[in-house]
Amino acid sequence: MGAIRFDNVGRVYGGKQGSVEALKGVHLDIADKEFMAVVGPSGCGKTTCLRFVAGFDQPTSGTVSVDDVRVTSPGPDRAVVFQQFALMPWKTVRGNIELGLRNNGIARAERDDRIERILALMNLTSYADAFPHQLSGGMQQRVSIARAYVLDPDVLLMDEPFGALDAQTRVVMQEELVRLARRNPRTVMFITHAVEEAVYLADRVAVMARQPGRIKEILDIRSVREAERWDEHEKIEDVMDLESFVHLRTQIWRSLRQEKAMEIA
Amino acid sequence: MSRKTVIGSATIFAVLALWFLLTSVTQVISPGRFPSPSDTWLAFVQITGKGYANGVLTEHILRSVMLVTLGFLVAVCTGVPLGLLMGWSRRAEALINPVFLIIRPIPPLAWIPLAILWLGLGDMAKIMVIWFAAFVPSVINAYAGVRSLDRTLIEAAQMLGTPMLTFMREILLPGASPMIFTGLRLSLQASWTTLVAAELVGAMTGLGRVLNAAQQDLYPGMILVGMIAVTLCGWLMTVALGIAERYALAWNTAAKALD
Repeated sequence: MGAIRFDNVGRVYGGKQGSVEALKGVHLDIADKEFMAVVGPSGCGKTTCLRFVAGFDQPTSGTVSVDDVRVTSPGPDRAVVFQQFALMPWKTVRGNIELGLRNNGIARAERDDRIERILALMNLTSYADAFPHQLSGGMQQRVSIARAYVLDPDVLLMDEPFGALDAQTRVVMQEELVRLARRNPRTVMFITHAVEEAVYLADRVAVMARQPGRIKEILDIRSVREAERWDEHEKIEDVMDLESFVHLRTQIWRSLRQEKAMEIA
Repeated sequence: MSRKTVIGSATIFAVLALWFLLTSVTQVISPGRFPSPSDTWLAFVQITGKGYANGVLTEHILRSVMLVTLGFLVAVCTGVPLGLLMGWSRRAEALINPVFLIIRPIPPLAWIPLAILWLGLGDMAKIMVIWFAAFVPSVINAYAGVRSLDRTLIEAAQMLGTPMLTFMREILLPGASPMIFTGLRLSLQASWTTLVAAELVGAMTGLGRVLNAAQQDLYPGMILVGMIAVTLCGWLMTVALGIAERYALAWNTAAKALD
């Protein structure tokens, strides 16, 4: 289970010069096991939305709930993958992945078993005893994803997880995430400003607008992907060449560009 | 030997030669003001053999090292947790900080009269004064260590469902430890400074007592022996702390080397 619901969510930041409405009337339903990407210009409040689901922040109006339970605090049922990895530098790869399992009272034998499996799945086995700073950015983000996945969470929250990686590493990680997500589906909320990434990964893409931050439109990718058999292509560039992909990408770009035009006008 | 070591040794040799030249050879500096190398050696022989100021050198050193270690440990064991608490809890900070701000500017040595009034001339008074001196850097740096902790690491720990005790032990403490060790180094320095001053006021044995007795006996050679002994002890303890730090923060030094 892991259905996310934003019900008329708003966020107002109060200040001495008056208040700023960062988010207004956000309605969004993410179904159980659905991969939802959220794109939008910077400052549209997409990361804020993710932080509501994570329980790091609270909306000033409306409610955010998971499986009809209102979110009030962070917890391992909603695992987060941070843009800056957020690995404990004093713990090894294994230690980082183990912390969440240990916190949730999982016995030693099962812990070891689950860690071995996730390490193998993420190609990290030979780095189990390395410290994060000994790894490249891509490897560190693998560890961060492993740390989230190993908890078997209902919901995975990814906040521009590949934003800090170089272009080649990014492509490899996107392909890996697609394989992981298709084989082992979870409810995923994926924040990004890269349109291609959103179209390639997601079942649906929510486009956000700013001032105030709100959901502008939601596009269905999954039906196109299944009809056009994207998953039969192993490489991202092959998918990105497909006419159906280009069409969706252009549609989202137009939607975002209207925003920019309005901003300049 | 590197160029740096060669120059360094040359400088030290030059200073020693100058010392010998100004005292023993030319007597530009009179023996009553500053001891010659041979005076110093004789004082050293006396304090290690026959003894001086109620004991031989090792007894004085052991006494001082014991007092410093005790005062330092008491300060660290109280100061670091308090700093961590103040760094973590806004309420604790609001509660404790005003008192701390009033006490902080009091020079540690100004506590000596009160300490003697309360606890007499014995060890307890000295430990108390060392504690006050070493306490402040421990608190401030542990506090700053917690405050410098990356916000997303705290969020990551919360997201992983980390219980309070595990959080303290595995996130807060290691995260703040680079700053904590900075505090420990400063605390250790403060401990030695204060010890010598406290022993100058009144003590049966100890390096401060040696210095005090030598001053009253107008014995420059012994004063220099005492100063050298204090310096070496302080230096050795700092080196020991440095080794402990390198061991405890292996992850951090390696991370820094990479940047």
